Amino acid sequence: MRMILVAGLISLLPAVAFAQAGEPAPSVDLPEAEVSKVMTAAVDGFIRPGYSAFHRSAEKMTSVVKTLCGTPSAANHDSAKSAFRAAAVSWAHIEIIRVGPVIEQNRFERILFYPDRKSTGLKQVQGTLSKSDETATDPATLATKSVATQGFGALEYLLFGTGSEALSREKNGFRCRYAAAVAGNITNVSEEISGIWDAPNGIQEAWKQPGPSNPVFRTGGEAATALLGILVHGAETVRDQRIETFYKGPEKAKFPKQALFWRSETTWPSVKGNIEGLAALLEASGMADLLKQSDRPILASTKALLKSMAELSEQVTPDLERAVEDPKEREKLDTLLFQGREVIISLSEGYGGAIGLGSGFSFSDGD
Amino acid sequence: MWRGEAIDRRGFLKAAGISFTASLSPRSLMALERADAVYAAGFRESDGSFGIATISERGEIIDRASLPARAHGLAHSSATGRTVAFARRPGTFAMVFDLSRQTEPVVITSPEGRHFYGHGHFSPNGALLYASENDFDGNRGMIGVYDARDKFRRIGEFDAHGIGTHDMTVSDDGTLLIIANGGIETHPDFGRTKLNLDHMEPSLVLLDAGTGALVQRHGLPPALRQLSTRHLDIGADGRIWFACQWEGPRNALPPLAGWFSEGGDLSFVSLPEETTIRLGNYVGAIAVNRREGIVGMTSPVVGAAVTLDARTGAVLKEELVRDAAGVAPAASGIAVSSYDGQFNETRSKVAWDQHIVRLG
Repeated sequence: MRMILVAGLISLLPAVAFAQAGEPAPSVDLPEAEVSKVMTAAVDGFIRPGYSAFHRSAEKMTSVVKTLCGTPSAANHDSAKSAFRAAAVSWAHIEIIRVGPVIEQNRFERILFYPDRKSTGLKQVQGTLSKSDETATDPATLATKSVATQGFGALEYLLFGTGSEALSREKNGFRCRYAAAVAGNITNVSEEISGIWDAPNGIQEAWKQPGPSNPVFRTGGEAATALLGILVHGAETVRDQRIETFYKGPEKAKFPKQALFWRSETTWPSVKGNIEGLAALLEASGMADLLKQSDRPILASTKALLKSMAELSEQVTPDLERAVEDPKEREKLDTLLFQGREVIISLSEGYGGAIGLGSGFSFSDGD
Repeated sequence: MWRGEAIDRRGFLKAAGISFTASLSPRSLMALERADAVYAAGFRESDGSFGIATISERGEIIDRASLPARAHGLAHSSATGRTVAFARRPGTFAMVFDLSRQTEPVVITSPEGRHFYGHGHFSPNGALLYASENDFDGNRGMIGVYDARDKFRRIGEFDAHGIGTHDMTVSDDGTLLIIANGGIETHPDFGRTKLNLDHMEPSLVLLDAGTGALVQRHGLPPALRQLSTRHLDIGADGRIWFACQWEGPRNALPPLAGWFSEGGDLSFVSLPEETTIRLGNYVGAIAVNRREGIVGMTSPVVGAAVTLDARTGAVLKEELVRDAAGVAPAASGIAVSSYDGQFNETRSKVAWDQHIVRLG
């Protein structure tokens, strides 16, 4: 590899704004104070409470799984399964935030390794079980292993997959101790993320006060664009990754066992959690306040669509084999796909256009 | 990409042939006849559909064709008159158009396990088409090789020696493939999400065009690890110009462009602070006007078009262009398009996409 040393090539901006004549008008020009208010509300009203709630639910899940290990029984196994579902839904709520500390140091993948079309996670978890690898029973050493063996996917197989019935019989068996370590690892990662967002002078301040010396957002327009990007990408993920992964339409090939959390029948609660997360961020941030009064119905229709999707997702059968084959169930899936598209368009075109993005075309990177 | 004075509008008309001009409306024909240069660019219609258009130097749309989805970069062969629009990543199609309309458009589909990264280039004689591609399960950039004389059959591929391969071009003599590996890992399962911003590996690579053998590879120093090397063009003197997008702290002032030559080290252009700020730490497109010895760069982040002296790297001109998108060499200066429909002096009711290619 050829490499040259480039000393002094990178520097930091002076804290003073470049407000001289000739400064170009940003593509999205919004009142800075209003944007700051919206970003503050997004951080304090959704992001920080969301990670904090997820951390608490992960802690509870860890505690319940440890109880199962020490006192195995069918009832405690059921409690562990319930705690898993609750933590998975709590994660789904905040999972829509795919920027910031969660995507650094593989934290996202360590919590959830998905999609996994080649079943890498399943193979690796089965491998760990067959070898009874004791280093997988300590969250600290588990954290150094493949990300596919240390998050929700692994824990779902351990609690719900083939051989999981042994959990209600074996005291401190390997499978249970591995499950407790996975839960502990998820707890540790969630605590890390929550701590980074809660640190007083860190990312939360950068999000709340866009400006020339800000390491994340130089202008209010950039911040508002990023916030909208979270919503659009979140809606795209629900539609394209969580539903279309196993169902793209009545005439297309169907893969019900590619769905996230099919084993634990948590697919739809997770989808609902994502949708409710999007609606909650929209509401908590007060993004509507950045629009002219005449444009505000755009978000009202977006919220109505999200509400409809959340309600419909509850009505789909958790039996995904049936969901993709039964015409009545498929109709619900088709409606979810259609409404998902509508949400994406109303956010990127409607809201994006209303705050000054070129027809929603440029909110994303030009590449 | 148009590389100089070899072809102008007359050359374009000759390549396009009578059937092309005969198909145009009187208005389009007039636009073409008074154009000093002709371009192609992808666009989005107001109804959300996508297409590719030929455009006069004034920015008037001469002709248009539909595309199945959003395109990104384009390649043109003046030897054969063929133009290719590549799908935006992680798209899997590339559409080949014959301006003479003697042959139907050809759709190239990326093979299993690959998607297009949005850029490619013809060999000088137009016989081969090279395309930047992602081997997403292997997490490595590839250059797909397609035989333009055989319905664009895929005849091979070369390792791009990097990840997040984006723009690529071919040396004038056709012996080298020049590759910008942006260093950012993506996977179609995760849409356009950037998966490794905290451990990026940008690089600039030269390959032997015949064998795919690695000729030269430049990584970036640790301080510039988050500087994604994305777009390329070649100057009259053989200098390879590259443009970058910074993924690090927003309040940093990284270098955003530079150049190198075969056998030489990287040199970064030292832009004035205010220029770096206006570019928003992001250059979306770069093009060299060889005849005038200038380099054009655009950024949609703040909205700017910047022209450099290709010899010294000095800033010659800065314009405020809202939603600035593509650049290409013009008969005089640099042609600039924008997401909000501006193309030089004309505004159309389309959103121009990120890149322009000059056809003649």
